[in-house]
Amino acid sequence: MNTSITSKLIVVLTLCLAVILGVGMTIDYRFSRDEILERVRLESAETVNNVVSELEQWLHGVEGDTLFLARVLEQREYSREGLNQLLRDIVAHNNEIFGAAIALNPELTDKPQGFAPYFYHRKGAISFTDFADKDQKYWEHAWYRDAATSGKPIWVEPYFDEDGGEILMTTFSVPVYHFDGEGNRSLYAVVTADVALTELHRYLQQLHLGESGYGVLISKAGIVLSTEKPDSIMRHYLDAMSTPADSDAWKRSFNAALRGETLVFPIECPARFGKCNARLSTLKATGWPVGVIYSQDEVLAPLREYETKTAIVGLGTLLLMALAVGIVSRRLTGPLVALARASDVIATGDLNAPLPRIKGKDEVAQLVQSFRAMKRDLKSYISDLKVATAGRARLEGEMAAATQIQMSMLPQGGEALEEAASYSLWAKVRPAKSVGGDLYTFYQCDQNKLYMAVGDVSDKGVPAALFMAKAISHMKQYEEAFESPPTGMALLNNALEQGNDNCMFVTLFFGVLDLQTLELRFASAGHTAPSLLRNGVTTVLSQETGPALGLAEDMPYPENTFNLQAGDRLAIYTDGIDEAFNNQAEMFGFERLNTQLQASAGDKITSAGTGIFKCVDDFAGDTPQSDDITLMLLDIPGQPANSQEVSRSFNCNSTVFGTVAGWLKEAFQQMSIDSEIGMELTLVSEEILTNIHKYAGLPASALIEVLIRIDSDKITLEFSDEGIAFNPFLDGHRADLGRDIESAEIGGLGVHLVTQLTDRQSYQRIDGCNLLSVEKSLSAE
Amino acid sequence: MNLTTNISINEEDSVARVALVGALNTDTAPSFEERLQSVVDKNYAITVLDMKDLDYISSAGLRVIFKAAKQAKVAGNKLAAANRKPHIDKVFEILKALPDMAVFANDQELDDYLEAMQNKVKGEQ
Repeated sequence: MNTSITSKLIVVLTLCLAVILGVGMTIDYRFSRDEILERVRLESAETVNNVVSELEQWLHGVEGDTLFLARVLEQREYSREGLNQLLRDIVAHNNEIFGAAIALNPELTDKPQGFAPYFYHRKGAISFTDFADKDQKYWEHAWYRDAATSGKPIWVEPYFDEDGGEILMTTFSVPVYHFDGEGNRSLYAVVTADVALTELHRYLQQLHLGESGYGVLISKAGIVLSTEKPDSIMRHYLDAMSTPADSDAWKRSFNAALRGETLVFPIECPARFGKCNARLSTLKATGWPVGVIYSQDEVLAPLREYETKTAIVGLGTLLLMALAVGIVSRRLTGPLVALARASDVIATGDLNAPLPRIKGKDEVAQLVQSFRAMKRDLKSYISDLKVATAGRARLEGEMAAATQIQMSMLPQGGEALEEAASYSLWAKVRPAKSVGGDLYTFYQCDQNKLYMAVGDVSDKGVPAALFMAKAISHMKQYEEAFESPPTGMALLNNALEQGNDNCMFVTLFFGVLDLQTLELRFASAGHTAPSLLRNGVTTVLSQETGPALGLAEDMPYPENTFNLQAGDRLAIYTDGIDEAFNNQAEMFGFERLNTQLQASAGDKITSAGTGIFKCVDDFAGDTPQSDDITLMLLDIPGQPANSQEVSRSFNCNSTVFGTVAGWLKEAFQQMSIDSEIGMELTLVSEEILTNIHKYAGLPASALIEVLIRIDSDKITLEFSDEGIAFNPFLDGHRADLGRDIESAEIGGLGVHLVTQLTDRQSYQRIDGCNLLSVEKSLSAE
Repeated sequence: MNLTTNISINEEDSVARVALVGALNTDTAPSFEERLQSVVDKNYAITVLDMKDLDYISSAGLRVIFKAAKQAKVAGNKLAAANRKPHIDKVFEILKALPDMAVFANDQELDDYLEAMQNKVKGEQ
């Protein structure tokens, strides 16, 4: 799910929205915060100002009353009763005033104690006391002295009044002066009005700023007049209110307040969290610093609330949005997921898996449509493929059966080994495709004769196979006629020519071996001449051929004969061997076959045969077999005679050359002498015979004996006659060779030919006979 | 082993072609000699012995050719051999026969030579 579109969308969109909201909210917060702070400030200022002005009003009232009294006393002289009454009235009618006193200057009174009546509120009634009574020397008290000293109305620092009210109070003292005629001033009395600190306190406690904020009032000297903690009252503010860390701030603000400035400064909160602020301004009337101490956090509570609300709203919005995105995206990708699942099912092979239904024309719908079409096409393609494959499988089955049938037409089913007393025969066919056009056959009609054949139908594959079957069955038909290979060939040719509109043809080698005489009679219809391995040397049989079978009626097929010997190995094959191609388009060729055949000299027939097949395969490499390959090997058991001789006598007449040449040709063929060597030896013998004819002085009836001897590596010709002793190598006239025509001598060339074309020459005269012998080597040069 | 001799004459170019078919040996040489002689006597500028189908030649045959070549040279004509089979060639080689006898490996060479000769003759005229 981590990589699904849904979660991607959710994450991405939520992040974006979070960022946007975050930025917006931050900006809004900044502005709002400033607004709120401003509001808070204004509110707090207002609150403070309200209380302060109330306080000021009250104090101002007190001052006013006292000043009035003082003025009155300045103007008139009152008697003591009058003064008392005056004082009493003032106290009684002004609840604000705790008590009032008129303290006459004792120097002006008749009593040394002076006269200082004092009226005050106590327990709801007006009480009276005269400071003079108690011998207190009231003129030494601060409330009298300070006023007298300053000459102006002053507020006296707070104190505990033992004499009178027995409470903490502060007093407004106004000195009263009388002026004599010359304008000299003399102190008459000090008029006082007392304000209870508790009253002040009551006023101040209306100051609320935040839940735990409280008001504070400090006298000019720094004595705390009112604060939250009762034990702080009457102590110096530095002692009671400030911590050592804040003392500088306090002092600064206090002094500023004394000057009339308003200051807000942060202080350490007494036993509270967060920051606290102290706000000090001044009571105008008295010049006392008055202020409020509050917790910023509490005051900023609205702001905090606002922040919290905003955060919650923001978070809520994000969550809702994530939810909405998730839902929408799910709905969009739902079909895609279903499609993916359906394709998984289809991939397992079940092409009938249902595809999701989808409405609309959006991209996903289009995808589903395409998918549906593809599924449909796939189904039809696969069913077509199934039909084709089934067809091919059936065909392959038929071909496999065909291969079996074809191979069963051949003796021993395509690879044969026949070991008899007088021969061993091995044969193998390997078609290029399932079936092919090569064939072999061998059989014995009677004990003494072995019939063998190798054939090659044109082309390969099924057509060739059918023609091959036709050929094989006709060959069976003419089994006995093949006793004379040419006859059989002709019959077979005519049979195959019939109805052969396609002009298929087959080359065929058919041989009949007389097992007693080892004479091989054979006919070849355009077939490659077999190779013979004799005495370790491979040669190719010479043959006269007729045309390939099946093309034209009534064709002649010459008979060839050849004498096999003990130790011979005959190889009959089709051109699939010599025409086997390798990667470089080179052909295997006759030479390689003959070399390989020669190399198989010591091997048993089967391994010789498989060895030749392997040699061809190794040559071809991975090039596919291009033609059917057939090989038949015939071994004549026994040790080959190392030498054999034939000889004949001829009359020494004028036709002796032709006669001898003819006999030589036959003999050479029988002995499978290479035709070129044969021709040279014929030439040699012609020259020798010419010499004998010319110089031996023999009558036509005389006989010349010619002997041919073959050994493993050489051939020897011997000529013997009873003529005059004549050694052509000595006595003969040799011409100088190489001279130009004019000086060349005609004659004497024969001896040259003899010496050049043979390896050894010898002459002997034995018992009145000339014995001339020449040798020629047979081994490969 | 027989020999057949086929003669074709081109009077205009003075070219005689003598084709030998078969074997030229002691037996067949005499009759060949006669026929060759009759051609050479006519003094053609060039007499070509086409040996395409000659399978066999022995010293007897060579002698005949030798003699004819000599005669031709004396008369200012040429005797040439063409299309010699390899083993025939070998025999000529062994005997180093007629080193200055013109030899043509095939008909094409022969034709080219004849043409060149004609052009030369025409140029001289």
